[in-house]
Amino acid sequence: MSATDESGARSLLDRVSDRLLDATVLERFGIALASILTAILLGLLMVAAAGYNPIIFLNNLIVGAVGSERVLARTLRISTFFIVTGVAVAVAFRAGVFNIGVQGQFVVGGLACAMSILWAAPYLPSGSLGGVGLMLIGTVAAAVSGGLYGAFPGVLKAYADANEIITTIMLNFIAIGVVSWLITNPFREAGSTNVQTEPLPANVGLPPIVFGESGFSVVGLVLTLALVAVVAVVMTRTRFGYDMMTSGYQASAAVYSGVDAKRNVVATMSFSGAVAGLASALFVIMYQGRFLEPASIHTYGYDAIAVSLLAANNPLAVVPAGLLFGGLNSSTSYIQIYSDVPVQLIDGIVGIVILFVAVPELFRMAANRATTGGEDE
Amino acid sequence: MTANNTPPAVRLEGITKQFGDVVANDSVDFTLDAGSIHALIGENGSGKTTLMSILYGLYDQSEGTIHVNGEERSFDTPRDAMNAGVGMIHQHFQLVMPMTVLQNIILGHEPVENGLVDEARAREDIEAISTRYGFDVGEHLDTPVSELDLGTRQRVEIVKSLYRGAEILILDEPTAVLTPQEVEGLIELMEDLRADGRSLIFISHKLDEALAVADDITVLRDGNAVGTVSASETSEEELARMMVGRNVLFDSDARETTIGEPVLEAEGLRVIGDRGLEKVSEVSLSVREGEILGIAGVQGNGQTELVEALTGLRTLGSGVVRFDGDDISAMSRRDRIEAGIAYVPEDRHVEGLVMEYDLVGNGLLGNQTIEPFANGGFLDWEAVREHTEEIIEEFDVQPPNPDTEAESLSGGNQQKFIVGREIGHDPDVLVASHPTRGVDIGSIEFIHDRLTELRDEGLALVVVSSKLEEIQKLSDRIAVMYEGEFIDTVDPSDVTEEELGLLMAGQRLSGEDEVSGDGMTEGEMSEGGVSEGRMSGDESSSGVET
Repeated sequence: MSATDESGARSLLDRVSDRLLDATVLERFGIALASILTAILLGLLMVAAAGYNPIIFLNNLIVGAVGSERVLARTLRISTFFIVTGVAVAVAFRAGVFNIGVQGQFVVGGLACAMSILWAAPYLPSGSLGGVGLMLIGTVAAAVSGGLYGAFPGVLKAYADANEIITTIMLNFIAIGVVSWLITNPFREAGSTNVQTEPLPANVGLPPIVFGESGFSVVGLVLTLALVAVVAVVMTRTRFGYDMMTSGYQASAAVYSGVDAKRNVVATMSFSGAVAGLASALFVIMYQGRFLEPASIHTYGYDAIAVSLLAANNPLAVVPAGLLFGGLNSSTSYIQIYSDVPVQLIDGIVGIVILFVAVPELFRMAANRATTGGEDE
Repeated sequence: MTANNTPPAVRLEGITKQFGDVVANDSVDFTLDAGSIHALIGENGSGKTTLMSILYGLYDQSEGTIHVNGEERSFDTPRDAMNAGVGMIHQHFQLVMPMTVLQNIILGHEPVENGLVDEARAREDIEAISTRYGFDVGEHLDTPVSELDLGTRQRVEIVKSLYRGAEILILDEPTAVLTPQEVEGLIELMEDLRADGRSLIFISHKLDEALAVADDITVLRDGNAVGTVSASETSEEELARMMVGRNVLFDSDARETTIGEPVLEAEGLRVIGDRGLEKVSEVSLSVREGEILGIAGVQGNGQTELVEALTGLRTLGSGVVRFDGDDISAMSRRDRIEAGIAYVPEDRHVEGLVMEYDLVGNGLLGNQTIEPFANGGFLDWEAVREHTEEIIEEFDVQPPNPDTEAESLSGGNQQKFIVGREIGHDPDVLVASHPTRGVDIGSIEFIHDRLTELRDEGLALVVVSSKLEEIQKLSDRIAVMYEGEFIDTVDPSDVTEEELGLLMAGQRLSGEDEVSGDGMTEGEMSEGGVSEGRMSGDESSSGVET
């Protein structure tokens, strides 16, 4: 009978959602791994159906992410950017503020980092001590300017009721346009045909440890993980973090507990923007060694939204999510270069992987909502 | 009660429902005789709503059978239940606010003529139902539901069920939102429905109402049916004992207390509400040490805004608030908390608790700047946990586990936790808004006792409630609020519940002028007057006098 079928299907759904709700962190990690494998399997079927060799594709997928020192360095480099920008998004989303402007904050922070180092360089000694000093100056400049560029839409939201999603997106365009103009005109490298700033002095940069490859340093990865740890502590063990999280969960309860909602929005946006600025400091100091035309920079700030959502906006979970994104991103470029599989197909498969990893988490969130909704009284 | 050959309207046998490890209903039997009113009573969290949700197709039972009119049935959805003639009026109305009454009633059951909604026929049918039971719903068919007061909304819900052919009606705590006069109207209506051959299940935790209206009463406790008694053969005391499992004292005598200096004072307060309308007009008050000031009134007459102005959640339009003699009118909420003004908020689900936090996370709410929980900017979760455990212990919060999420606690336990936390601030003033709304009888007693104890310890308290019994029992003075003003301040021992009810409806006691001044008689007052008052309280359409 259809009625029993229906209730059978429903109880199966109930059981699945109960199971998902009860899942431990380790189990959830296992579910994510299984999802990745299933998605890759499905992707290989698509590759085969499209007439390409799936075995070679799989090989390229793996080799492209971790196959050699060079690609592994690239994967880790991209991952660090995804992780830091992902954390920037996560803190804002946790507080119920939708900062879509991480890209803009990243671009502004990057220019501030590069220019402050270039301006300060003549006043500091040229040795490694001076380099550290310059890097500190650049990092602070990036964090402050990113923070201010985040604070601005925060102020607009708090005191003028302007929707932050819209203002931050608009400010992304403004940031890219203005920074692009600045690099094209006043800050352009003397005599260069490229749109880029002067290169940073030789004593600025992270030391190549383990990986000889330029553009990635283990120091950068360590700093990234340290930042994640600091943010996690801020969120869970400080008053500021508690105020932010409470505002995100239940704004009215936060106000009841004495949180000034307006100031909290501004503080959250500043914090999120500052983290985005730190991402760009890493980008400039560790990778580019100068700042380039911002329109040509990968859209870390937008991808970070997906990274953060995949991590359920948990700063710690952003690390594996960022690594996954970094690996896929690295593989994509590898496959594009070393095989004739069209880029659209690769993007589609990457999309499936992300979808498969995200769906169990989405189900979990939905089940959580559904269960709480039913138990009134 | 039943004719021998009529099967019971509803028979539930051995119903068990588990949510994870929690047993909400444990092998419950329940029989609703055809053409009778059966009250289902029990404390919050005793499983009343769960049991009825199973009957109504919202949940599947884990075990047990459902018979409706003698036939075994299983409802997967409320629509199945409705098709079998079972209707449910939820505690939180299921109405679409911007849509008209007519649209709400026919929603999902629209009479269709040539593919179009046959509104004329719907109108006719609804008016027929409306006239039959003397409803005023027929007059409001084209009014958006958002413009109606709660009592009328409830009648819309009832008409909706009747329109859909409900022979068996489940009313989930229908009196919770009504004034005493409106409750009387509802009871009459339920009796009319019964006289018409319909069968009703009345969920409540108010013993007097169950006794007044029901033929039979079934008591649930901790998911078990404790017993079913005939209303004519039982008493409030017996029912309370069945519900709580021990004896309950109904009237604790108000103790004599020494009243000290004024602690919290307000002068000429004007407060603007969310929609830009003045909700509090020229209110002045003073609460002294060792005193409970009760603020009575039908909801929506400005109590919420007044309390928010006192606690720092809403800015003043004009006027002054003083605490210990200092002007705190411009002081932030945070500073007022730290100064010693504690607040048990009106809506625990929205303000008082973060539903997704565990109790430790909620134990910090409002305490996040206070030592020892905060050390500079850092939080000491160990200290918070200890404090939470103390609250749980002292206020008998069930389950006694600090890691429980707030939302999985029953209403009474949530409320006990909030009261415990707020008192834990060691305040000088406690403002408690509807401290026992939706709370079971055992917890009500407990909370009342704690509030009077605090008063005896010299705290100044402001208690806002629309429950007359509560206001009368707790208060040393009662201020009645109507359309943003205190229309009278009375001594609780000098007024009857009826007199308070009339004051709440905007009518001054005999010999004084009515506030509304439109010459309504007492009889009209009990029906239309209250709705009128509430509507203008919500909408301020009539303008508030000074």
